[in-house]
Amino acid sequence: MSPGTERRLYWTIAIASPLAILALWYVGTAHGFATPVILPSPGTVIGAFVDILRNGYSGGSFLSHLWASVQRILVAYSVAVVLGIVLGLLRGRYRLVDAVFLVPAEVLRPIPPLGIIPLLILWFGIGELSKMLVIFLSVFLIVMLNTQAGVRSVRPDSIRAALSLGASPFQVFRYVIFPSALPHIMTGLRIGIGTGLTILVAAELLGGDRGLGFIILDASNFFRTKDVFVGIVLIGLLGLACDRGLQWISRRLVHWDGKP
Amino acid sequence: MHRYGSPVPILTANRLCFRYQDQPVLSDASFSLEAGEFVCLLGPSGCGKTTLLNLIAGFLMPSDGELAFEGRPITGPGPDRAVVFQSGALFDWMTVEENIAFNLTCRKRPLAERREMGTRMARLVGLQGFERHYPYQLSGGMKQRVGVARVLAAGPRIMLMDEPFAAVDVQTRETLQEELLRIHAATGCTIVFVTHSIEEAVFLADRILVLPSQKGTDWKEHRVDLPAPRWAAENRLHPSFVAMRETIYRELRKGLADVPGH
Ligand SMILES: Nc1ncnc2c1ncn2[C@@H]1O[C@H](COP(=O)(O)OP(=O)(O)OP(=O)(O)O)[C@@H](O)[C@H]1O
Ligand SMILES: [Mg+2]
Repeated sequence: MSPGTERRLYWTIAIASPLAILALWYVGTAHGFATPVILPSPGTVIGAFVDILRNGYSGGSFLSHLWASVQRILVAYSVAVVLGIVLGLLRGRYRLVDAVFLVPAEVLRPIPPLGIIPLLILWFGIGELSKMLVIFLSVFLIVMLNTQAGVRSVRPDSIRAALSLGASPFQVFRYVIFPSALPHIMTGLRIGIGTGLTILVAAELLGGDRGLGFIILDASNFFRTKDVFVGIVLIGLLGLACDRGLQWISRRLVHWDGKP
Repeated sequence: MHRYGSPVPILTANRLCFRYQDQPVLSDASFSLEAGEFVCLLGPSGCGKTTLLNLIAGFLMPSDGELAFEGRPITGPGPDRAVVFQSGALFDWMTVEENIAFNLTCRKRPLAERREMGTRMARLVGLQGFERHYPYQLSGGMKQRVGVARVLAAGPRIMLMDEPFAAVDVQTRETLQEELLRIHAATGCTIVFVTHSIEEAVFLADRILVLPSQKGTDWKEHRVDLPAPRWAAENRLHPSFVAMRETIYRELRKGLADVPGH
């Protein structure tokens, strides 16, 4: 199979598969296998979406809900990525820095973020800070660990080559260690955005009156399943867009990765 | 104690010892290298050739004895003793010209100068037209050329090469050897070249140092006498070439016979 044919087939299947799910969903609901409260039809969900677009939801415009969610993830994710990369690089390079963070990070890691939320609410209230902190914490750990793994994967010969060609310790970091770790870092960013969105929704379920997670919780309280679906689909699409975007950047940024 | 070399040494080892933990690798090695010399290091596997090269490069420190470069003890790696690695160790994220100009980047030279160096060195090693390629777009032999060009661009006093051509096919290897000899003649750079191949050593070297096997302490030295230009392929058939190859072969086989299990 030529690369062009293979590529076309790949995208045909990648697009056909969600369409097939949509078709099943449509057929299932059209023949009344499920009541609209259990499973609304795709048409109902689209109608609900248009309604939210026009009239907002629960006193807030659609954009205000979307922006509330995007803002939380944007701030928490950015801070987590920057700190995670910096600390991951330092931990990977300097054993003593690693020693400082080893136990705290490993103790924190297996705790489900939802287990930390009550504590954060106790300390920081139910506002934005708690929501962002819980997202930050999970993304930060993921990015830091992946970055550290990236640093560990640097070939010792590359570092020696740089030193022998006159690089200072900082130049070794900048020109060799960071680019070597970049493929792992990009993987961390992609895993991190997925986890970040998951936790965003969980955090928004806790309270507040704005956000996609809030729509889901509020709608389910009133058995407005079609609005629950709007929220779920929007978050899913947001995740898909973020992941594709990061992959696109990643392909261009670390073009050498995976090539012999 | 053994002492080789000429009156103006660029590098001197005096009773040089190196141990990994308790395992001695080099003991009481004394030799010196003349500026501009092409020296090949031969010896059985595990005898410490790479270790010696790493000591000269400054990646390892002597356990005992002295290793001095231009009269001063070696304290760490530096571009005056740049290394060509067997693995190439190219920077995959940099283009050929960026790899070549890496030393200039470290010295914060302007872009125009780095470009100029990239173009000039690429031409010198026969890679013109590939300046903007990435290492993964090159063949094995081309990668080694980049490795050599990158080191030359750093303007080393000694070029250290650890089996740089071991992983390329015979034809490419011979071409690379001939080109290396041209470059050596053109730059006057001192070269220390580790190889397993007696032919390669005899074809390239002005002088061959044969390291003792791990049990032994006996360093051997051979001065190669082949007609100029040294890069002429006919030298591979020259009677001196053939004779020296035989001498060293017998010597190495005798060395191996001393080790139990051979
Ligand atoms: N990092 C290390 N730790 C402990 N021992 C080592 C290490 N590197 C090498 N050695 C030992 O030192 C000895 C010399 O190794 P070295 O790599 O210098 O040999 P070599 O002559 O280059 O061998 P080859 O021809 O196979 O490349 C070997 O016996 C090896 O087992
Ligand atoms: Mg070796």
